[in-house]
Amino acid sequence: MARLKFLCDVNRCIDCSGCVVACKEGHHVPVGVNRRRVITLDQGKPGEKSISVSCMHCADAPCMAVCPVDAIYQREDGVVLVNKKTCIGCGYCFMACPFGAPQFPKGAVFGARGAMDKCTFCAGGPEETFSEEEKHLYGQNRIAEGKPPLCAGMCATKALLAGDADIVADVYRERVFQRGSGANAWGWEKAYNEK
Amino acid sequence: MQSFFKQVVLSVSALFGLLAFGAMSAGAVTATQTSSVSAYFGELIGIITGDWQKYGGLFTYLQGNEYFMYVFLGIITIIPVIFALHLAIVGAKHFDHGGNQILFFPLFARIIHFIAAASFSALTITGLLIVTGHFFGGGPFIRLARYIHIFAAITATPAVLCMLIIWFKDMLPALCDIKWIFILGGYLSKKKVPIPAKKFNAGQKMWYWCAIPGGLLMLATGYIIWGFGAQLDYVRIAVMVHNVLGMIIVAFFLTHCYMSIFAIAGSLESMKTGYKPEEEVHILHSLHKYKPSDIKPAKHH
Repeated sequence: MARLKFLCDVNRCIDCSGCVVACKEGHHVPVGVNRRRVITLDQGKPGEKSISVSCMHCADAPCMAVCPVDAIYQREDGVVLVNKKTCIGCGYCFMACPFGAPQFPKGAVFGARGAMDKCTFCAGGPEETFSEEEKHLYGQNRIAEGKPPLCAGMCATKALLAGDADIVADVYRERVFQRGSGANAWGWEKAYNEK
Repeated sequence: MQSFFKQVVLSVSALFGLLAFGAMSAGAVTATQTSSVSAYFGELIGIITGDWQKYGGLFTYLQGNEYFMYVFLGIITIIPVIFALHLAIVGAKHFDHGGNQILFFPLFARIIHFIAAASFSALTITGLLIVTGHFFGGGPFIRLARYIHIFAAITATPAVLCMLIIWFKDMLPALCDIKWIFILGGYLSKKKVPIPAKKFNAGQKMWYWCAIPGGLLMLATGYIIWGFGAQLDYVRIAVMVHNVLGMIIVAFFLTHCYMSIFAIAGSLESMKTGYKPEEEVHILHSLHKYKPSDIKPAKHH
């Protein structure tokens, strides 16, 4: 079984935030909730780099471990999903997540958080596939349609890769080899001991 | 020889240069220019996740292994068992309720105590429901428990603040408290010997200092958890403090309930009317000095 993964190539990401917009629009994500964000480092300085971050669909997901109502589960292909009908909005997953992936819409009662929302890898949710309810709660189910996630699919520079972890790794490795020269080449440090 | 010395100086200065560079990059929030891609990603992940290992990892370890839940379940199992044994072996204390009555709790204190009692009961029950949420399958039921938990925290706040003020002086530690602790308040026997205690005994003081300042800390940490009102690492600390302090408060809360409902017959009545029977005061609060105006004479039939 394929293991689905995201990978953002920081040498290609141009901080256009297209992935963020595609995700938000395509899934009708409510205001204040961002399933994906772009972080820019050393902005305005030489060597500026950007990376697109969302749920990493961890192998041993901390959010799943801490959930007091077991609302978070992992599919066989590694995609971590939340059942919004079970979620109580306690926020433990957000506290456990290293990437700030779980997001919470403001609830109606005492300003308490609503059910957690996060990147679904465009794989919908526990409701019936392609049902209205699934679309309403979790957005599109592009994986079931045989399409890549919105963010990766629309990435103009193809910095954001999504899919079978082995294939993603192969694509990335090939890229690094092709553009690798001088200080970017594998083994440069070891061979020449200079920077 | 000279060339050897030169090499040593060079390598030592290079080492210091590297260390200085490392220290600089550790302190900065921006990425440094690293040569290899894997080193770059190594640094990048630290910038994105922060020092997750510290509190994020600790919280995941404690909550992920359900240690919080097991301790809570242990507390709500063991303590009632101990009290059931106490009730069976030693039994409740009975005092003559027909004699003079002594005013202990004026109306204001009683109202405040009633609000706090209702709020604390709701907080304890709903808090335990949230901790053990997966037994109930989460969903609307546990979500409702969370809403009630937040509402009860709002009603508890003024009550806790008032209790902090009205009982502060009477709750300050006294020498007789040490004696009380050594004889465990006389609760291990049914003999009616005067127990060293003023208006409040050492046990009540322990409960007060745990529930009132502790309760305020629970309210503060709960407020942070409710709105994520701090840096993420502080939210993680807040949720761990909230759980651990919650265990202590639940343990004392159960003790307080046992004492008032079972261990001293008629003490629920005292909290409603504000009066304790004279005999109970002379035994359980033998050092309490009350004003003559606090005495309500016995009813003569």
